[in-house]
Amino acid sequence: MDTDKLIACLTEDADPVRRLPSPWIRTASWLAIAIPYVAVIVMMMAPRDDLAVKFADPRFLLEQVAAICTAIGAAVAAFQSIVPGYNRRFLVLPLVPLTIWLASLGQGCVQAWLRGDAASSFTSDFICIPAIALVGTLPAAVMVLMLRKGAPLWPYASAALGGLAAAGLGNFGLRLFHGQDASLMVLVWQMGTVFMLTFLCGWAGRLFLDWRPVIARVRRNLAAH
Amino acid sequence: MKRNLNPEGLETLMQAAQAGDMRAYERLLKEITPKLRQMVRRRRQFFTAEEVEDIVQEVLLSVHAVRATFDPKRPFMPWLSTIAHNRLIDSARRYYRGKLNEVQMDELPVTFADDWTNVESEAYRDPEELSIAIKSLPEGQRKAIEMLKLREMSLKEAAAASGTTVGALKVSIHRAILNLRKALNRE
Repeated sequence: MDTDKLIACLTEDADPVRRLPSPWIRTASWLAIAIPYVAVIVMMMAPRDDLAVKFADPRFLLEQVAAICTAIGAAVAAFQSIVPGYNRRFLVLPLVPLTIWLASLGQGCVQAWLRGDAASSFTSDFICIPAIALVGTLPAAVMVLMLRKGAPLWPYASAALGGLAAAGLGNFGLRLFHGQDASLMVLVWQMGTVFMLTFLCGWAGRLFLDWRPVIARVRRNLAAH
Repeated sequence: MKRNLNPEGLETLMQAAQAGDMRAYERLLKEITPKLRQMVRRRRQFFTAEEVEDIVQEVLLSVHAVRATFDPKRPFMPWLSTIAHNRLIDSARRYYRGKLNEVQMDELPVTFADDWTNVESEAYRDPEELSIAIKSLPEGQRKAIEMLKLREMSLKEAAAASGTTVGALKVSIHRAILNLRKALNRE
């Protein structure tokens, strides 16, 4: 098709569009859906008995705050990644709380090792994988739907950031009903699951973030006009 | 690129386009098209004019598809450049993937119409010349050609009809073909 003719067709198809809110507002919208869902899952699974005590534990609080900040940072970065024109430095946004989270867990592991009970406290805890996946399912699904409204510029990065946001929130919820606080266990099983889900989401990025269906939809609309 | 464009104008045009102003949108697309063309040409110097135009159209379609992501508070050109750059990378990926999937082959004669497939019959395309060459053959060879090649008789039938042996006919036909080739300058 001639470019001038294409411009004429695009102009005819230029219906008013609802502007995408800023990434921060979109993150707030995402949290408004995701947090009640996490709360429902925590209530269904029964919150841990020592929750009141844990809220007085600075390490637990730091790790929970770091987890939720990682989720928020990753969500903001994911929503920025689908808006053209943003600097790619947004990718480091979730790295700061993630580093704090990992550092806190790492320090706990070192302390356990110095006490000599690191090996004895390590057992299998496979329940973390489906539990984090369950808590993160709806946030992940909502994240996919919201990411698809933008431009699929970096499908793998956007999907991985979205996955990190959902998995981070999933881990935050998990620790409210799963009584496992040994740093090594949290680092291996919970953080391992978060990284695994992040990697899987990133790997599947092209499945739901791709220019081809976006352009095909426009072409269909033009043909229908 | 930025020298010829009024960024504020483009932002205003895009804002109006998002609200459904068709004229503003048409003006915007017409303003950015030559710039996109220039950008693509500069980054893909080995592309043909047609390929450049294809990418420009892809970028225009992409701009149209994601126009809701533009925030009028932010500058227009970085927004457009990101889309164009991204689509250029996509096109380069497609181009190299296509090249990798291509298999280089020699040109092979595969049709009956191709001259290469008709090398043997090429010299016999003049039936008059062939007829004269057959007539000039010794009688035994000429009869062998007539019976075996023109009337398409079997060796046994031809041997019975001519009162000779199959072996003698084979020798005659072999010599006749050699003589015909010589006569028709095939050797």
